[in-house]
Amino acid sequence: MRKTTRRTLSVLTCLSLGALLSACGQALGKDPNTVNYWLWDASQQPAYQQCADDFEELNPELTVRIEQRGYDDYWNGLALGFVAESAPDVFTNHLSKYPEYVTRDLLLPLDAYVERDDLPLDIYEDGLTDLWVGEDEQRYGLPKDWDTVALFYDREMLAEAGVEEADLDELDWNPDDGGSYEELIARLTVDANGVRGDEPGFDKSKVEVYGLWLEMSDGFNHGQTQYSMYAYANGWETTDTNPWGSRFNFDDPRFQETISWWQGLIEKGYMPRFAAQRGVQSSDQLAAGNTAMVTHGSWMTGTFFGYEGLDVGLAPTPIGPTGERATMFNGLADSIYRGTDNPEAAWEWVKYLASPECQRIVGEHHVVFPAITEAWEIAQQRFAEDGIDVSAFTRHVADGSTVLFPISDNAAEITALMQPALEAVMSGQAPVESLSDVNEEINQLFE
Amino acid sequence: MQAVARPSAAQPSPPAPERRPRGPRRPFSVGRLLAWVALFLMIVITLAPFLWMLRTALSNNRVLFTEPGSWLPVDFTTGPFERVLGSASTEDAQAEGGSGASMRFWTYLRNSVIVSTAITLGQVLFSAMAAYAFARLRWPGRNVVFFAFITALMVPPVFTMLPNFVLIKNLGLLNTYPGIIAPFFFMTPFAVFFLRQFFLGISREVEEAAMIDGAGYFRIFFRIILPMSSAPIATLSVLTFINAWNEYFWPQLVGQEESVRVLTVALSAFHSSTPQTGPDWAGLMAATLVAAVPTMLLFLAFGRKIVNSIQFTGVK
Amino acid sequence: MASAARAEKAAARERAPRRQAKETRAALIFVAPAMLGFLVFFAWPTLRGLYLSFTDYDLLTPASFSGLDNYTRLVKDEVFWNSLWVTLQYVFINIGVQTFAALLLAVLIHRLTRSVVIRGIILLPYLISNVVVALLWYWMADYNLGIINEMLSWVGFDPVAFFGDEDWAIPTIAMVNVWRHLGYTALLIFAGLQTINRDVYEAAAVDGAGEVRIFFRITLPLLRPVMALVLVLTVIGSWQIFDTVAVTTQGGPVDATRVVQYYIFDQAFNRFDFGYASAISVVLFLILAGVALVQLKMLRAGESDQS
Repeated sequence: MRKTTRRTLSVLTCLSLGALLSACGQALGKDPNTVNYWLWDASQQPAYQQCADDFEELNPELTVRIEQRGYDDYWNGLALGFVAESAPDVFTNHLSKYPEYVTRDLLLPLDAYVERDDLPLDIYEDGLTDLWVGEDEQRYGLPKDWDTVALFYDREMLAEAGVEEADLDELDWNPDDGGSYEELIARLTVDANGVRGDEPGFDKSKVEVYGLWLEMSDGFNHGQTQYSMYAYANGWETTDTNPWGSRFNFDDPRFQETISWWQGLIEKGYMPRFAAQRGVQSSDQLAAGNTAMVTHGSWMTGTFFGYEGLDVGLAPTPIGPTGERATMFNGLADSIYRGTDNPEAAWEWVKYLASPECQRIVGEHHVVFPAITEAWEIAQQRFAEDGIDVSAFTRHVADGSTVLFPISDNAAEITALMQPALEAVMSGQAPVESLSDVNEEINQLFE
Repeated sequence: MQAVARPSAAQPSPPAPERRPRGPRRPFSVGRLLAWVALFLMIVITLAPFLWMLRTALSNNRVLFTEPGSWLPVDFTTGPFERVLGSASTEDAQAEGGSGASMRFWTYLRNSVIVSTAITLGQVLFSAMAAYAFARLRWPGRNVVFFAFITALMVPPVFTMLPNFVLIKNLGLLNTYPGIIAPFFFMTPFAVFFLRQFFLGISREVEEAAMIDGAGYFRIFFRIILPMSSAPIATLSVLTFINAWNEYFWPQLVGQEESVRVLTVALSAFHSSTPQTGPDWAGLMAATLVAAVPTMLLFLAFGRKIVNSIQFTGVK
Repeated sequence: MASAARAEKAAARERAPRRQAKETRAALIFVAPAMLGFLVFFAWPTLRGLYLSFTDYDLLTPASFSGLDNYTRLVKDEVFWNSLWVTLQYVFINIGVQTFAALLLAVLIHRLTRSVVIRGIILLPYLISNVVVALLWYWMADYNLGIINEMLSWVGFDPVAFFGDEDWAIPTIAMVNVWRHLGYTALLIFAGLQTINRDVYEAAAVDGAGEVRIFFRITLPLLRPVMALVLVLTVIGSWQIFDTVAVTTQGGPVDATRVVQYYIFDQAFNRFDFGYASAISVVLFLILAGVALVQLKMLRAGESDQS
């Protein structure tokens, strides 16, 4: 019955529309030797297009079709693709999304292929391959890149404040008085009368340049570029185990005192009010001279250093009470859609994307850091040739001061609970203790 | 047309100038001045953001935020327009803060024209036919069906998106023009509602006279009703075309392939690559202005039609 | 001629059954294409959604019947009630300002000028897609970098956190959409103004009636059917507010702009709770249908007013 209806509809649609435009039936058959690949970052497209060209040369019988979709539409399009069984064969996957797909059996486990082709997994940065192993111990992606967080600052403002750049390498921080890190932030804050944040007579109601920018508009991502580097350096862990934790620690004093300190920067006038930060993103605010420092991820390096007339420097995150600095360590991977009609071809492409050949090309384009050590070292070198020292990002990898992005089920539910709660705290409407109740709600999701 | 040719009988001399044939001319009055001031203010508020767009579209994205408060382009360049039109090399584009996305502008423009034209033709014709049946013909269930059509206005997009996508996929119409066009081709509640309202206002006498002459319903519809409603139909067509032209959500779901990709989808590359990079504001504004040009031309072409007063002889 | 018509009418009445059949057949043909589109792209998805609102459905695995679970959950869901309240505020501000301004604009243009250029200008904002409009204003109204706050400072005002302040966010979003839709709405009203016979105005002018009097005594009453149409359409459209929120505040600050459509979308496609999203949609649908029914009653009253 349904089939007949469908055919009738098909005929009707084609009759009425096909008369106008003869395209019916054209797209009915899909070439199984074409691998459809999705990514969301337009600035990386040239690098991957080159990989695809090389891949097609090596595998003349296969074609790779790259499709770039903006991040906002990407996941929605993917969800519809899954429902309609028209999802791309291979796609760039994100840690905050893939658990949902694993629980719904949408991704192809790669273990058998890895084993069969004897793929070395130790060429990638430590930890990156583990991120993509599901709760069921199966592997659902091969790592393509990684990112960490650092401080972007305006070098001119630093010089005006009389701060040596070298001092930024050994900043220390604690949740009580903020340590030398807070001293720096205060020093860099300037009010309308030119009085600095650490000087008497500072008017916190009329701040011209903030010491540090607050940016929360990108949604809750476990405070990746917002607070995670402080909380982790304070000895806090997001979940009981990671990946696949099921108890969250937003009620931990080490977390809450970190947030209190962070929010305190607003009270002191060193960081914009929550209401005032919403709008144009932090990199543009730095370029416009509204702030002296911004904490952000390595993927933004090109954007920050691209502004003309802005002299940007990079410093590592401060050393916390644990005696170490910290950063979240996040990585993307390429996954295969379980419904692909040519798993073999899809696998070949994923394997190529994760190969030194392709990752070296990505490194040459130096937009992000590829997952393979030698490839990100190429990126680091290319950055250096552009006069950009990215060691603030890479030192974490060498020092092992990275903390893996928290991977868990119910990621979307957690976001829906945490984001408004955190916004309420940061805008001063709710006490930081209110996060304990939210934590309770989150933990109930796992019961 | 009649109105244009009919200067006010109440004012025998002097004849109103052709350009301002509006009713009774009145000498200067404070009220009229205030009215002009109000109109002028509204126009300023309407236009100011466009000035901002133009200023941004002629700026270098890399230095845009060094002068956030200036109404003039920052480091004047036509680069953003070159990026949009696809005539800038990837290197040049990236040097001014653009992305690496490829731009086959003329292909996208062609696709937008095809899709929007087809949607407008289909939607306006079929909606007009339906509206005529609702406004003029008596048939059982008319009011129920009409109300059902109106409720379609309230259907949440979440409901329609998924089944429509699956349907288009099952018909094998993903990445084809018909796939992009289909959901908008047959009707929109708005168009039916809008036209019905106007058809209701047309005098029955004209129709009945035609009926006596032996004209059928189709003849009446095509020969009398449509021509008499040319102003609302032109208005509706322009609005439909603009809506189709600006439609983004659906074509980005079903029409990503280069050969059928429409402008809105292609131009989204200028703003939606977050969280990876900052938006190319200059490129986005240039893209927006360029994409609005065809619809603007259309409005100018049909403007007269929309503007000219059509006397519905029988409205009363 | 009139008497001939009357005679013909009488004759028609005698032939009524045959003519009625013919008329019905013609009507069905006229409605058929639109009906096809309606059934396939609106009615079927709606019925399906209605069914899904009684299920537990995550999009990717088959739906399982769950009775009234989604609805009982909805009654207790504070975020949902808040989203209704927020949407209501939006609709109120958006429609209030927009209707008033569009009516004013349409009448001003109608009485002042025949310029196509001016008519073109007021439609300009509508030529820009709403996503871009939202992004543009998000930037122009930025607290630190926005030109609007820059200009406010020139005249001595403190900057306003248009999108960041909980009290400002909804009015700001409402006004952004007024900006985009004003010309469009004005044009619809304008189309209605054109159907008013000019002789009426001329006669009124001869009687010495002022513009204001003409407006309230002639224009407004004659415009009632069109105004009702415009209101039905804009009110319903206004309830569907989504895009502007999605590209600017994303529901925040806290929950200040978490409008119903945004909440539905979040449930359906971020949290894969399509069953629950459907239940909210059904409730929203019922609310809108109620609103429209009341408005259509008004519209019908307007019609009888005129003929």
